[in-house]
Amino acid sequence: MMADRRRVNGPPGGTRPAVFASLSGSGTGAAERAQRQRQPSELRKIFLKTGLIPTASGSSYLEFEPSASLAAARANPKSLIPPSSALKLACTVHGPKPLPRSAAFSPNLVLTTHVKYAPFAARKRRGHIRDSTERDLGVHLETALRGAIIAERWPKSGLDITITILEAEDDRWWGDAPDSHDASWGMMNVLAGCITAASAAIADAHIDCLDLVAGGVAALVSDDEKQSSVAPKLMLDTDPAEHRSIVSACVVAYMPGRDEITELWLKGDSSKAALEGGDKRSGHEALVDGAVDAARGAHTVLAEAVRESLLKTVGQV
Amino acid sequence: MATSLPPVAVPGQRLGSVATYSAGPGTHVQQSNIYASIAGPVIVDPAQPKTQTKSTLRVSRVIPGANQIGAAPSKTSASTTKSRPRYNTLPAVDSIVLARVTRVQKRQAAVSILVVLDDASAANPDPSKLASDNDNVASILTSAANPENHSNTDELRFQALIRKEDVRAVEKDRVVMDEMFRVGDIVRGSVISLGDQSFYYITTARNDLGVVMARSDAGNMMFPISWKEMRDPVTGAGEQRKVARPF
Repeated sequence: MMADRRRVNGPPGGTRPAVFASLSGSGTGAAERAQRQRQPSELRKIFLKTGLIPTASGSSYLEFEPSASLAAARANPKSLIPPSSALKLACTVHGPKPLPRSAAFSPNLVLTTHVKYAPFAARKRRGHIRDSTERDLGVHLETALRGAIIAERWPKSGLDITITILEAEDDRWWGDAPDSHDASWGMMNVLAGCITAASAAIADAHIDCLDLVAGGVAALVSDDEKQSSVAPKLMLDTDPAEHRSIVSACVVAYMPGRDEITELWLKGDSSKAALEGGDKRSGHEALVDGAVDAARGAHTVLAEAVRESLLKTVGQV
Repeated sequence: MATSLPPVAVPGQRLGSVATYSAGPGTHVQQSNIYASIAGPVIVDPAQPKTQTKSTLRVSRVIPGANQIGAAPSKTSASTTKSRPRYNTLPAVDSIVLARVTRVQKRQAAVSILVVLDDASAANPDPSKLASDNDNVASILTSAANPENHSNTDELRFQALIRKEDVRAVEKDRVVMDEMFRVGDIVRGSVISLGDQSFYYITTARNDLGVVMARSDAGNMMFPISWKEMRDPVTGAGEQRKVARPF
């Protein structure tokens, strides 16, 4: 790992309190696995507000509703360790501004995206330098937004989109061994949140877009003890902490007005899926359709947030 | 038909058909429908009565009072000059800009663009409009110096060049840049080209273009006395400039 020599860094490892076997085994229920309380097609509520950062030309703040177990743990804490986490992130848009002197002439808007986890965002502490997952998220976000922005209306100028993740989704339930699952599923939810928040911030900055692009996640999950016996079920807007095992997950950036997908990211094995009787779709198709449905849900919140901030400015004048 | 339009639009919202309207700024056309591409109030600019053209549908970047939505364009533009600074307008060819001189060289002067005046007042050669523009110079400049304005350092402003041959329309070969501009002057110019990777190109070769505000060597604000001279009201000393028509 790259060492950051310019700052006094916190400890590189996790900073969560030690858990003793007696505590997790005791009757206090401190180490109870979180359960999904929502219907398979029910999304978490989204809080989205634009224009909170006055120095940026556009900004937004997004929060996912905490899961039922997290809300209960906050109201009535039994353990120092929260059972799950809920996404919180802030997005700023700077520009359109002139390109740096060294850059070549561009007839289009040059889009730059930065995604950064705050050091305290996840259970494991993050460094100050962007690591590979953060760069990866930035690239995915740029692809998602590039398809939505009308770049030729802003010649010779650049647009910087910066996202700070204040609280990230867990990749799995914290009580499971850190390497018992293969992929970082929480990243998919983070990307969906980034897309929705960035879209709101771009609308707040009055940059021309084809449509408000929203992010959505769907996953095939198996909550059984014996993972291989039952085919995994399709769920929308999954919180990885609430499931025993996620087999496959998909995140899309979707423009409902045009029925177009600008970004598609699918992980895992989607070949087996327990769909309702008569559903002839493959697991892959069902997964993408599910993610699109989740994005449609996020889009309603997104459009309402943009409209709300617009009406507020009209009211101020 | 105009009654079915929403008062405000968000990006991606369908506004109307190209059969009824033509698409203006802030909108785009997809499968013969007009969609909003920015969030803002929907404004219909009525077509000229005698011509066969359709009314233009646009989504405004500036937020007028809610009751003014759909009002005549001249009225809205008059009201917006007083309201909040408009959002991120890019310099385009033929747009009128106000810029501060940052460097004067033998062949060219480098300026950084402070304000891009909107198309409505720039395209309109009505003398009363130009007069109102000039009255607003002070307020525009204070708004540009305002820290709330996102482009407050030279690094974040668009840079432009006034080449020697673009300074004035006559006697181009006798232009001496030192007698036209000084560092710190505020110049009104017209964009002639998006230029190269780093600079826009600006011309002042019109009577209404040139220096609008300048300080003398003594540091006092000067007033114009001819098309090529300004005078310090305290010391009485004159200095040479390419002066914009002062009315």
